[in-house]
Amino acid sequence: MTSRGTPSRFLQSVLQNGVGRYVCQLKRISIIFSKNAQSSLGVREFIEEGVVDYAKKNPGTVVYVSPNTCRIPKIVAEYLNGNVREEMVTSQTSKEILELITKLTNQSGLDIIRLRKPFHTDSPSIQGQWHPFTNRPPSIGPIRPLP
Amino acid sequence: MVFLTLSCLVRSRGPDRHWKVQELLKHARHFRGRKNRCYSLAVRAVRRAFVYATKGRILKKRNMRTLWISRIAAATREHNMKYPALIHNLGKTSVQVNRRILSELAITEPRTFLSLAKLAQARREEGFRAALGDGQEPAGVFSRVMVTH
Amino acid sequence: MSNFSRTAQQWATFARSWFLIDAKMQPPGKIATMCSVRLQGKHKPIYHALSDCGDHVVVMNTRHIAFSGNKWEQKVYSSHTGYPGGFKQVTAAQLHLKDPKAIVKLAVYGMLPRNLLRPNMMQRLHLFAEDELPEDVLANLTEELPQPRDVPRTLSQYTQEERDAFPRLWTPPADYKMK
Repeated sequence: MTSRGTPSRFLQSVLQNGVGRYVCQLKRISIIFSKNAQSSLGVREFIEEGVVDYAKKNPGTVVYVSPNTCRIPKIVAEYLNGNVREEMVTSQTSKEILELITKLTNQSGLDIIRLRKPFHTDSPSIQGQWHPFTNRPPSIGPIRPLP
Repeated sequence: MVFLTLSCLVRSRGPDRHWKVQELLKHARHFRGRKNRCYSLAVRAVRRAFVYATKGRILKKRNMRTLWISRIAAATREHNMKYPALIHNLGKTSVQVNRRILSELAITEPRTFLSLAKLAQARREEGFRAALGDGQEPAGVFSRVMVTH
Repeated sequence: MSNFSRTAQQWATFARSWFLIDAKMQPPGKIATMCSVRLQGKHKPIYHALSDCGDHVVVMNTRHIAFSGNKWEQKVYSSHTGYPGGFKQVTAAQLHLKDPKAIVKLAVYGMLPRNLLRPNMMQRLHLFAEDELPEDVLANLTEELPQPRDVPRTLSQYTQEERDAFPRLWTPPADYKMK
């Protein structure tokens, strides 16, 4: 992986989310599973045990449970900024799926790519940035001819 | 694919060559010339790029450090000191600020850097002050001059 | 961010200064070191090799530089025209007579990094053989740099009292005949 060949961005949050109040960026989550396939066993368990609790805990998120004839159960998460993330949950246990969904809920929906720096600030300078005359008195009048 | 003879089985390179090629070309799409689309040229260039990237990860640390040092040296010279004097005396006054933060301070917070430079300068002259001075503190700095007198 | 807008801040940070150096009776190497540091921008804490943050340097009195030792006769500037037999060698004195700016220019050129930015940096170096500067250059100057060496005074600049007060090793007798 070269640094030029991979996309990158700076550390940021969506509209300074969480500075005042926190708005959950995950708006819609659909759990697509099969009613009888072996690989969807954990998902079915999760729907029995945890999905209602999850939906109650996150009133800002719409949860769709859609049974489908499919071999690969998946979770599709849609974020406020329009990003869509698909996660395969083939033969995962109910606990693992809950962890995955919690992770998706807490994410901001921004692309998960390389960060240029692990820190960022909007106001880098308090005292005013350096400029050529910070440590040198500006000359009054012309330098030459000498007075 | 059905192989009726062993030789055909050996010759076959598998059904997913296209995807293998795409997997490699993915890393070469930003290269210049035919290297970004011809597999046989790209494979070499990608391998080279990965080698450079590996070496670059080590070199980056070295280059950044030299950049910080040259920036600190420039900022220190504005206050009529030299870089080794500053670093040595900041270490002696147990100011545990590394070179990256020092160089950032010099750019974004020039007055903080000025006070650090003054501190280092005072520490540097401490011995002379204790021996030759009148027992006065340097302005704005608490030092060991008072203790020795 | 204090009262500045960011654009003004950016312009202030990357503003170019104009430095003046008086090369009268100064070693060209010392002058060139000062020039090359400022042309590259290595005197600024924002220095980066690619960010083109160098300043302008004006050097005047390049005709009156001072080489030490026997460099005027023994220092040789070589060049090749590219044609067969085109190898030219001139001493510093000959080169200086031909072009009074050439020695300082070559010294600075040799001290700048060998990359594609070198011509741009050289464009920001302004050399003047005498101490008369054009108006537009004078208007830009922001600072005069101190000279690396003290300018020695010539005998004519000493007053008669100073000459008399100069300590003597030996007083010649009245009847001493100067050869």
